[in-house]
Amino acid sequence: MKEILSSSHTGDSCIHVKHKSGLDIYIAEMNGFSSIEAIFGTKYGSVNTMFRNRDDKEYTVVPEGIAHFLEHKLFENEDCEVFELYAKTGASGNAYTSFDKTCYTFSCSKNYQENLKILLDFVQKPFFTQESVDKELGIIGQEIQMTNDNPEWRVMFNMLGCMYHAHPVRIDIAGTQESIAQITPELLYKCYDSFYNLNNMVLSIAGNVKADEVLAICDEYLRPCEDKGLEMVFPEEPDNIVKREIREKENVGASIFNLGWKCRPASGMDRLKKNIAAAMAGEFLTDVSSEMYQKMLMEGIINSTFAYEVFSGDGFFSLIISGESEESDSIRENVIREVKRFISEGIPEKDFRRFQKGMYAGLVRELNNVEMVATVMSGAHMDGLSPFDTIDRLAELTPQDVLDFMSSELSDDKLVLSVIERMAE
Amino acid sequence: MKYDRIEIGDKIGMTTIIDEKFKSSLLTVRFIIPLDKKSTSDNAIGFSILSDANSQHKTIAELSEVLSELYGSSISSFTRKRGDLQILGITSSWLSNRYAIYGEDIQGGMLKIFSDCLFSPNAADGAFDDELFTIEQKELFDRIEAELNSKRSYAFARAAAVAFRDEPAANYSYGTRETAEASTAASAYAAYRHILETAVIEASYVSADPDPKIEEMLRKGFAAVERHPLPVQFISRSPLKPEPETVSEDFDVRQCKMVLTLKTPSEDIYAMKLLSIILGETATSKLFRNVREKLSLCYYCSCSVSMTKGTLIIDSGVERSNIEKAKAEILAQLDEACRGEITDEEINSALLYTDNALCQIGDTMSSYSGWYFERLCDGEVLTPQEIFSRYSSVTRERLTEAAKSLKLDSVYLMLDKEAK
Repeated sequence: MKEILSSSHTGDSCIHVKHKSGLDIYIAEMNGFSSIEAIFGTKYGSVNTMFRNRDDKEYTVVPEGIAHFLEHKLFENEDCEVFELYAKTGASGNAYTSFDKTCYTFSCSKNYQENLKILLDFVQKPFFTQESVDKELGIIGQEIQMTNDNPEWRVMFNMLGCMYHAHPVRIDIAGTQESIAQITPELLYKCYDSFYNLNNMVLSIAGNVKADEVLAICDEYLRPCEDKGLEMVFPEEPDNIVKREIREKENVGASIFNLGWKCRPASGMDRLKKNIAAAMAGEFLTDVSSEMYQKMLMEGIINSTFAYEVFSGDGFFSLIISGESEESDSIRENVIREVKRFISEGIPEKDFRRFQKGMYAGLVRELNNVEMVATVMSGAHMDGLSPFDTIDRLAELTPQDVLDFMSSELSDDKLVLSVIERMAE
Repeated sequence: MKYDRIEIGDKIGMTTIIDEKFKSSLLTVRFIIPLDKKSTSDNAIGFSILSDANSQHKTIAELSEVLSELYGSSISSFTRKRGDLQILGITSSWLSNRYAIYGEDIQGGMLKIFSDCLFSPNAADGAFDDELFTIEQKELFDRIEAELNSKRSYAFARAAAVAFRDEPAANYSYGTRETAEASTAASAYAAYRHILETAVIEASYVSADPDPKIEEMLRKGFAAVERHPLPVQFISRSPLKPEPETVSEDFDVRQCKMVLTLKTPSEDIYAMKLLSIILGETATSKLFRNVREKLSLCYYCSCSVSMTKGTLIIDSGVERSNIEKAKAEILAQLDEACRGEITDEEINSALLYTDNALCQIGDTMSSYSGWYFERLCDGEVLTPQEIFSRYSSVTRERLTEAAKSLKLDSVYLMLDKEAK
């Protein structure tokens, strides 16, 4: 099945193919661009620690950090390292694991067909041995140490730990030294066979490409997969938070904070609408021209790092405000007061329109960037959406939607403050 | 793509790149001055104030509101170091008028704002507005304090301080707590005026939409400035220390950092850059394959080259117990290169990597802008294709000579306290 998807707002379009192998393929031919960005991704991330296939009697529970570990190991073929293959074409190959996805990418401006063959081939050819698992423990152990030295990383995971009782989003994507020590080749194969089924994956390629050439390579390289009815399970997660505050002293120069609301999770189009409403709420709460922002700026409580992020995925959703500050308690009080003010006074239409224009411009700019187009297409598919849904839903958003989001989700009892404090000199 | 560069004043250049694929525009004006530790904070604060407000929109709140009305257009300032030079600038980006939903003139609005910010800031009686100054001085204090939050870049900066001791490049591009404290609304304004008058200036406009009003605006603005530009030197090689120096500092960190600075008198820029790629810029480089993958000595180990100072810097994240082993292996890999042990495969792969990267330069406005600015600093404006042909002519012998010319100057170690 082949369809052309397009945006009535920008005129951009892409091709979507449901390939006979089971894989969903998105191709954006971008005239005038030289580079090509490809993403071959699976809906499998650090939160997928419990699952079963249709024919499995029992659920499989795997050690934390295994999705990320698998990503590292997939770069080793039976006969060579994948990077050696890319070195022969000049492409930059990479991969990343997030909470709910693992993506293998390449970026190039020449030899894209050869690079696509390498990508499709190695991701479909796992090769795990005890020896290679043992070797990887050292490298990933180093990576865990490095991220533990990153205060932005720690302040976020400390916050998630206070927000979630049981959902695995509270655990570091790379796991811990202890959890990865439990990983075996057999477990890796079990995870691979379950999640790296083409029915659970997406190929997204954008830039200086031709759809016919891409599809011909896909026909040749994709091995048809039977849909095994993968079922993912998450532990029961109550609506309430674990505790409202966490503070940790670290060797940082400036204290930093994350202030996040635990919101009810959503999926598909509902999550997209909620994401947009939450982003608009974030715009209001961090608006540089607002009285609250200006007051805190003048008092020296915040600086230009004061910003928001919408953080959502399977079973988790949060609006997070972050920045550097030595007075995060005061920020929390101000933000709570501001939310209450909006709920009681309503969302100003004029401000809503200017934020809407800014968000629209941001999306238009994304569609002018090869890497972003590939990311948008794969991300939208994994969320059960079309690449241009965000721009369409943004146009439909109303001030009432933002007010509803604030009223229903931004309550004080769901708010967590996480602080990494500077050690006394 | 259409490229054009003209002179619009004494040591004021303007580059225009028109490429119809872009949906937004980017205007940047860069000011190049010798880096002087005493004035870095004044300069940085002065330029920060420029993008906060102007004589028409006098506060951060007012300007921010107008920018968001113009489809979230941005205007910001920056300061960075390039060898012994300080490069300050103001940059703005906005959506093309053809995407304005209600037919607004975004381009016209942003040109006016840019002009007011650069040439007509919120200042009176020889000083910036006090409130804006206080905000930006605090921003700078915060930035200085936050340096330690990113351990890798902090280690990199400390390594530069050791390697370039007593040279301008040893300093941060925005100064220290002391120079920031000494700054005043008047001294920051005087610094801004001094830069307008004395800097070598390069403007760059990248867009799908040709617009003669950009040149007009810049010409008019600079015409009111009494120019007497100071000479700047883009290359200032750092002298090699008589003996390699090791400096270590203890921090509460879990992973140690090691930064090796090597220096070279070589002027073979293409051989040195290609050597750096072969040694440690890709996932098939000698350092990645051996120090990380084969010996599992560190999570990252990569290198970068700066011909402005004549240095090659190798930085790594490493456990304390592996520091000496990692250092030995890094130097052993360099020794291999000195002995000419660089395979055809390594050279070809570095060339392919370079070719791919060069071809992608025209795909974003910022990479276009940065590319042509860097070429002007190099003293020769070449296209990516012309540069690639120079890389292609590098021989193994030139790579070997480049490797041999590198001598270890200093080692900076960020150590974990607890493991002592």
